Amino acid sequence: MSRTSFTKALNDALDIGLERFPEMFLIGEDIGEMGGDFAVTRDLWAKYGADRVRDTPLSEAAIVGTCVGAAVVGMRPVAEIMFADFLGECYDQIVNNAAKLHYMFDGQFTAPLVIRTACGGGFGGGPHHSQSVEGWFLNVPGIVIVAPSNPADAKGLLLASIESDDPVLFLEHKALYRARGEVPEGHFTTPLGTAVVAREGTDITVVATMRMVAMALAAAEELEAEGISVEVVDLRTIRPYDADTVLRSVAKTGRAVVANEAPRIGGLGAELSARIHEECFSDLAAPVGRVDALDAPIPFSVPLEHEILPQPAHVTAAIRTTLEAVR
Amino acid sequence: MERDTLLGLYDDMWLIRAFEQGLEREFEQGNVPGMLHTGLGQEATQAALAAHLDATDCFFPDHRCHGINALAQHRHRGDGERIMAELFGRSTGVCGGKGGSLHSADPTVGNYGDNAVEGSYMATVLGVALAAQLRGEPKVACAIIGDGTVGRGEFHESLNMAAIWKLPVLYACVNNGYAISMPVGDGHASADIIDLAKGYGFECRQVDGNDIVESHRAVGDAVAHIRAGEGPYFLELKTWRWQGIFAGEFRPAEEVKYWREEHDPILMADEVLESMGVDAAAREAIESAQRARIEEWIAFAKKSPPPDLAKATADVYVGWEVAGR
Repeated sequence: MSRTSFTKALNDALDIGLERFPEMFLIGEDIGEMGGDFAVTRDLWAKYGADRVRDTPLSEAAIVGTCVGAAVVGMRPVAEIMFADFLGECYDQIVNNAAKLHYMFDGQFTAPLVIRTACGGGFGGGPHHSQSVEGWFLNVPGIVIVAPSNPADAKGLLLASIESDDPVLFLEHKALYRARGEVPEGHFTTPLGTAVVAREGTDITVVATMRMVAMALAAAEELEAEGISVEVVDLRTIRPYDADTVLRSVAKTGRAVVANEAPRIGGLGAELSARIHEECFSDLAAPVGRVDALDAPIPFSVPLEHEILPQPAHVTAAIRTTLEAVR
Repeated sequence: MERDTLLGLYDDMWLIRAFEQGLEREFEQGNVPGMLHTGLGQEATQAALAAHLDATDCFFPDHRCHGINALAQHRHRGDGERIMAELFGRSTGVCGGKGGSLHSADPTVGNYGDNAVEGSYMATVLGVALAAQLRGEPKVACAIIGDGTVGRGEFHESLNMAAIWKLPVLYACVNNGYAISMPVGDGHASADIIDLAKGYGFECRQVDGNDIVESHRAVGDAVAHIRAGEGPYFLELKTWRWQGIFAGEFRPAEEVKYWREEHDPILMADEVLESMGVDAAAREAIESAQRARIEEWIAFAKKSPPPDLAKATADVYVGWEVAGR
């Protein structure tokens, strides 16, 4: 164990992957000598060379297409799409090729690729550098969406994604890059498709992703002083998600809030809320609450952005509202 | 060209024509679901490509690809009927009926699958080529594209990246004159796609795609260039599709007459074969044999069972099961 940043944990995972898997390569814009926009690939170009840490022109469709083609013939490509907002440029490759080819070609191909991308707002990035895009992919069978909240999971989930035979969209929230935490040394994997109870509690469950996990944990801490016991479930994988862990927790607490940074309509909160209502209806003491972004693009001006994105106070308020609600 | 080589290609062109005409008949009778895009009129382009691509190469078929798919399947595995069965949506199809007309694949014959989103695989082909380059394999990765595909942004991204990395990609552009109903010259800055490809700085060539002799030679040259490690190659094969649009024929009568009666690839090959001493009776025997073969393939498809319903949710993921209804 050592205290490591989220960025360094990702860098270690890529380093270990490149060392272990000769068929693995990295591909993306400015990831070579420059080490990537967020320094996730720092020093890997010098260590593994330009063939395996491959710089590209600004061609997102070709980057992901290259990954798909290489993956079907047995390579393990890991792409970096600098900002998640740019996934629109390669949406077809992800949705119509990577996610479907195992199915539509009757299992003859697999697409063991990873698309890492920096998502999320809160830093004045403006409308095209701040979005949470999980909802864009939530409705796509065949894709795996991974969303770590802390450095240890970032490393373990990235190694698991590299080793997965399914295509993985790996979301890295920009606000988490500098987060620090204890991370095991060397190779380990955190299983995809598994949520974790980040804090045990008995009165209410908060299911959270990425940056919202820290907000949920802070809210739990704050409310504990008032005698309210909050259980926090870190979803970790958004698709396919770990319904068992979520439903077990809600069955125990009888109340739930889903906290996600993306806009509300058609998002993760909608799916989880519906699922919880369907499967835990008799256990629920109140309707499921949701914390998410307002239904608008993300503006540049900091106070406006702050208004749009979910803030810690929104999580606390949603917990209180859900606790006070009655059937 | 040797007489035997041409006879082989002629045989292949008849396989394609018989396949498409048999399929068209079945489609009109309501036996084939979905939509139908035939390669009728474009047989020489497909026969020329199939002749030079090995099972260990890779090709991404275009929108009118039944012919090359069937030819590759027949040549390398002897089971061309599984392409027919795929088009009927049957369990015996190459993709168990899940892919259909625009998503038939079998990597063991080099067929990496079509994609109904035009040009999508122009990006995918880069990865297959890059893997071959990194592994030092002499593989040719071929993207068969139509003229309409050139309107997609992937056209630029792909040719650019293939150029800077000197990837072993063969771009075979089957220019049949129309993107759905839009004439190629109205849809692109040039009606000759080669003009658009030249800027990337690699070898480009344009041929009469209905002339099987010329097309076969051109594909052979392109494949040799790529196998020699000389980087990508752009080959434009100019042809004309027989099929109109969903609403029927929309092109001028004199144009239709020229392509169907004066510049049909099979009639053009007939003339060359005649001059080589292959008489009409011998040529008709080839046609009859292929038509009989295709009837057998259609019969095979029709008697094949539909897919097991459990397959509906199979293979969504490798690592997870998806619940059925």
